[in-house]
Amino acid sequence: MIWGCFLGFAARADVPEPLRDFSDPGVLKKLSLEELAQIEVTTPSKAPVRAFDSSSAVFVITGEDIRRWGATSIPEALRLAPGVEVARIDANHWSIGIRGFGTRLTRSVLVLIDGRTVYTPLFDGTYWEVQDTLLEDVDRIEVVRGPGATVWGPNAVNGVINIVTKSASETRGTFVSLGGGNEEQGFVNARYGGGNGKNFDYRFYGKAFTRDAEQHPDNAYFDDWRAIQGGFRMDWSDTGRGAFTLQGDIYKEEAGERVQAGAYTPPYEYNIDDNEFLSGGNILARWQRSLSQRNTIQVQGYYDRTNRHEPNLGELRNTFDIDFLQNLQLGRHKISWGLGARFEPVKDIQVVTGLTFLPSSRTDYLLTAFLQDEIELVPKRLALTLGAKALHTNFTHGIGYEPSVRLAWTLDQKQTVWAAFTHTLRTPSDVEENFYLSGLAGFLPDGTPYMGRFNANSRFAPEQMNGYELGYRRLFGKHVLTDISSYFNHYHDLFDQEITGGPFFETGATGVTTPIVPHYLLPLEFGNGLLAYTKGIEVSPEWRPTGFWRLRGSYSYLHMNVYRAPNSEDFGTAPGIQGASPEHQIFIQSELDVSKKIQVDLTWRRVSALLAGPVPAYSTADARIGWRPTGQLELSVVGRNLLQPSHIEDAGDPGPLVGIERSGYAQLTWRR
Amino acid sequence: MTSVGAPGSLEYAVKATYLLKFTRFIAWPQAALGGGESFNICILGPDPFGATLSQVVAGEQIAGRKIEIQRLERDPAPGACQVLYIGEHEERPRFTGEPGRAVLTIGEGSDFARNGGMIGFVIENRRVTFDINWRAAETSGLKLSSGLLTVARTVIR
Repeated sequence: MIWGCFLGFAARADVPEPLRDFSDPGVLKKLSLEELAQIEVTTPSKAPVRAFDSSSAVFVITGEDIRRWGATSIPEALRLAPGVEVARIDANHWSIGIRGFGTRLTRSVLVLIDGRTVYTPLFDGTYWEVQDTLLEDVDRIEVVRGPGATVWGPNAVNGVINIVTKSASETRGTFVSLGGGNEEQGFVNARYGGGNGKNFDYRFYGKAFTRDAEQHPDNAYFDDWRAIQGGFRMDWSDTGRGAFTLQGDIYKEEAGERVQAGAYTPPYEYNIDDNEFLSGGNILARWQRSLSQRNTIQVQGYYDRTNRHEPNLGELRNTFDIDFLQNLQLGRHKISWGLGARFEPVKDIQVVTGLTFLPSSRTDYLLTAFLQDEIELVPKRLALTLGAKALHTNFTHGIGYEPSVRLAWTLDQKQTVWAAFTHTLRTPSDVEENFYLSGLAGFLPDGTPYMGRFNANSRFAPEQMNGYELGYRRLFGKHVLTDISSYFNHYHDLFDQEITGGPFFETGATGVTTPIVPHYLLPLEFGNGLLAYTKGIEVSPEWRPTGFWRLRGSYSYLHMNVYRAPNSEDFGTAPGIQGASPEHQIFIQSELDVSKKIQVDLTWRRVSALLAGPVPAYSTADARIGWRPTGQLELSVVGRNLLQPSHIEDAGDPGPLVGIERSGYAQLTWRR
Repeated sequence: MTSVGAPGSLEYAVKATYLLKFTRFIAWPQAALGGGESFNICILGPDPFGATLSQVVAGEQIAGRKIEIQRLERDPAPGACQVLYIGEHEERPRFTGEPGRAVLTIGEGSDFARNGGMIGFVIENRRVTFDINWRAAETSGLKLSSGLLTVARTVIR
């Protein structure tokens, strides 16, 4: 909801150029032409605060990082960030968690694309298979590990993923890339950008792909995937005074999946292998105005339409969102405040009788207000940030508060220590408050079905978290940067599954109008019965031995303890949550410019075992070779998951665990 | 709010340094150096460099002449400029590749060299690189060394 330009998570945590002092022209003059061409002259943010000085665990994946990693989707690009658990469930589903709690729809990570929240309150989470753009046009992905709720919005409990595309002025010209391989069976991406050379720029893009299913022990290759998407962006600027952006996207896809379905008629509970039919679009306008050098305001509004037809449920959702933001500098205070309102008229479609939303047509809404003050206690040395967000949704009673305190201490130009305390909320969603889900437990001796049903729980309360963070960044010499972040998070009122009474005989079911088989029913609901704490540390060093070689790595450690509150009737949720996140993750990457025309990039990664599944630990490697015979043409070959024919990453699908295959593709890119 | 950095920014400090460095890789025909005592770097229209360009060329010489920076509101007279920075002042680069008018034209964007300008600055991956229109430069009588061509992002021949 709040934009990167405001938080200004600027330069990626690499050896930061701002630390090199170019203010004396004599320094630049000593450099060769080649060295001049290596200087980063613009920071990715419009109001840059160096990531190095930031008081949160920020990692920035740049567009160039995505290109050199050869990612063909946003979820795969996220593997580059430390502390993020990217587990591919099958060809088109991912579980993406930060500091634990990853599932197909991670409830605790907020995701935005160009200021548009793509986290849905249907199940609380992000449908990654429909979050896409032309990756060539991505400027950066800011990954905030840890709570970001005060400014970013509710549900940024364990992290924020903020995808920001380039301004249209940075994407002039023609771009075409096409290619294919064994999993990436074929893809084409194209963009054209232009402008009047003064204050207006635009671009249009289109893309399409077809992807193969992954490895299935039961030979049910359900997860093949085809999509087509297009969009545009227009930017008007009024230098120094303001800017206006208008952008939009439209998409349509078929993504195969295996889902569980329940019914009050035989076979009561079964799996369906079929396509999800997904389509939608969005349009966003953003207007910025500098009232003075130290006073800027921004108004943003967008409309998003989502059509989701899954084999077991359907949803048609309209989202209308408007936000206001002001940044003010008053002496030592940098004050930001904002207001936001979002209304989501939604219609849910019953496909199977065991999954029902009641009422099926309703309007979800979210109202927010926040205030933050960054106080420079000691100029350029010590900064204290105080902030709070207030929010109200259709799912909450009264007003929820999300306060935070952050302190950043810049010891010298090469060292920063920071600490934070944050209280955040995960707001309830339709799945807890408006949803009826049935399943078969067994049959009585006389053949009567014995079923369980999660009934809607309108008393479901927000999940709460108190987070404590401590971080340290240090530049060793000129070429080695290390970022260390540690945390202790304490959660209460976490989601669980509870039995709410004794079994009874039922001849009709809530929200079902078709005839049903009379059955015994055990009433259940989603409650707030779990407590948890997590602790961990992420270490991410980066070394640039020379201008043409970059080595970086990360190690992430996570310990989770999820347990029942004293009065909880939970049956088995806690171990499932705790077992779905890896304790250890290691990532090592080398990016080498062999010559001006040839790049060789290699990665090795290891993820420890998951008790849920269980999923064994895996280590694998990836490679990319790029050849640029001319400035306009590039040929690249990417190999993914090279160390074994297939490996399992997650147990998210019903049925046998899906193997993620060794794969490769070749790509031809032409830019002009 | 555009990709163009503010005057005096690091972006323009780098471009100013390039401007000087380019001259080390280019030979002007004697006739093009004109009758004056100085080597003139001209900026047509708005000057995005601020003070940096003057600082960069301070104390430097080209072809044995001291460097002067001239800021022009209108087209230069023949022989008045050896380097002409046009920036984003004009839609189309001028004085480009005219035989016998050896003025090194420098501008902004990937269209500049494509439309007949000689060197166009391009921002790519937040770094300043440049395209060269070799044909335009050679036609005008300038000699470009290979050391310059190998660093360019694109060379139009």
